[in-house]
Amino acid sequence: MGEFTTLAISAVLLAGFYAAMAYGLGLIYGVLRIVNLAHGGIIMAAAYLAWQLFERFRIDPFLAIPIALVVFFGVGVVIYLGLVRFIPRGPAGAVQSLLLLFGVWLIIRNAAYLLFTGNEQVIQTSYATSSVTILGGGFSVTRIAVFGVAIVALLGLHLLLTRTYLGKAIRAVAQNPDSCTLAGINVERVYLLTFGLGTALAGLAGVLASTLFAFTPSFGAGELLKSFVIIVLGGLGSIIGIALGALVLAFAEVFAVYVVPPYLTSAVGFVLLVVVLVLRPGGLFGQRVLR
Amino acid sequence: MLEIRDIDVFYGDAQALHGVSLTVDEGELVTLLGANGAGKTTTLRAVAGVRPVTRGELRFDGAPLHTIPAHRRPGMGIALVPEGRDLWPQLTVRENLELGAYSRPARARRATTLAEVYARFPVLEKRSRQLAGSMSGGEQQMVAIGRALMSRPRLLMMDEPSLGLAPVVVTAMFAAIRQLHAAGLTILLVEQNLARALEVADRGYVIETGHVALTGTADALLTDPAVRTAYLGL
Ligand SMILES: Nc1ncnc2c1ncn2[C@@H]1O[C@H](COP(=O)(O)OP(=O)(O)OP(=O)(O)O)[C@@H](O)[C@H]1O
Ligand SMILES: [Mg+2]
Repeated sequence: MGEFTTLAISAVLLAGFYAAMAYGLGLIYGVLRIVNLAHGGIIMAAAYLAWQLFERFRIDPFLAIPIALVVFFGVGVVIYLGLVRFIPRGPAGAVQSLLLLFGVWLIIRNAAYLLFTGNEQVIQTSYATSSVTILGGGFSVTRIAVFGVAIVALLGLHLLLTRTYLGKAIRAVAQNPDSCTLAGINVERVYLLTFGLGTALAGLAGVLASTLFAFTPSFGAGELLKSFVIIVLGGLGSIIGIALGALVLAFAEVFAVYVVPPYLTSAVGFVLLVVVLVLRPGGLFGQRVLR
Repeated sequence: MLEIRDIDVFYGDAQALHGVSLTVDEGELVTLLGANGAGKTTTLRAVAGVRPVTRGELRFDGAPLHTIPAHRRPGMGIALVPEGRDLWPQLTVRENLELGAYSRPARARRATTLAEVYARFPVLEKRSRQLAGSMSGGEQQMVAIGRALMSRPRLLMMDEPSLGLAPVVVTAMFAAIRQLHAAGLTILLVEQNLARALEVADRGYVIETGHVALTGTADALLTDPAVRTAYLGL
């Protein structure tokens, strides 16, 4: 019982991080119908940004979050204006968008190798080894803080999408861009802001990841794939869908220790993905549109 | 108020409009009639700015319109209720209406306009929290018209609002159009239901394969022998 509870809490904490990590990818896909292959590269770049801010200026990674949000919103805007804007919308542009954004990822990754070498980095905060006891299990303070930040970010996003004019416009563009133009919405501008927002969320995920894991310039590939698994599982329908997808993946990974050796747990998500795609191509929890 | 002067519109290499000209004056209800594929929708979409015009001129209140991007035109008072309604099905009725007031001038008066739209279509207030996609065809058409009204238009264009509706609902729809016109709104109405449209309209244009074939007052068109044989089956 004790071990089960501990693992379950671990899974929930991990799911919070996963949901925040996947949301940027889901948002961009839901609105622009583009799989942002640069997502993993942004996560990695944000981890390096947090590390640099910590090493050079002693800025705590959690305090670096606002900086990363602004920086990566800007990065998203630049990628959109420089590349994504020119890709034809819809199926015609699918292959182009994959290739272009994969190219962006390679550029970011190689730039990181040049700047920071391939050495593994960690951010050693003063509280990195502190932990608290919850229901008999020890949990690191960092993981709890990451969970808290992720929840706040998801709630903020939910309020943005449901309560503001911009948020409603984003959801409307996801459902029918033509009638948005007729309603006076500048659809291009919504695409730009959505791409910026999705990239900022990837940046947030990268900063959070930098407090949990060691990273190299190759970091982010697994995170991209897991994000993809989550949006396929949960659909794009709502924050709830993403949260459910994240919970399923996190529980599957955490509880996989009972059945597979530790080095195989990261493959759990992909097995899950294949099973779902074969059995329920619409996703576990349905809703293929952002609402 | 609206002047369309000799416009050409293409889809790729295929020309959909050949020198179409048409005017709508302040307070008028003008109907644009014609068979399937004649170019009615294309004409409205050109005025709304979502279809580019390759030749000719569009003017609104005497000022050139074709240089203004489509998303700015609702703010100037031009609204289109598109063919097939084109709602956002997964947003609530209320969200659909609110987004109709997206342009700056309309946004400032959103609450007032919403109350007016609810007064005109009470069922929308009752269903305000329902997803638009789950409503019946007639109710969806009311949402589409309500959404256009939320922009406080001076020119309301409607593309086949009676399409696919049950006969009693069609009657209600034309009654609503008549009321909007009586309240002073300028309307450009596209219809395939000629008899019904000419009943409510002041003037009409008949368009055939991208050309204006006939124009006149509604009464003159109703009694025109060519219209009666070709479109009314009399
Ligand atoms: N998206 C499109 N791509 C290519 N051709 C189009 C497109 N839309 C319309 N057309 C063509 O342009 C011409 C005019 O079409 P339009 O939709 O304006 O006709 P309409 O009068 O509205 O017809 P309907 O009564 O069927 O709605 C037709 O020949 C049609 O085939
Ligand atoms: Mg049409």
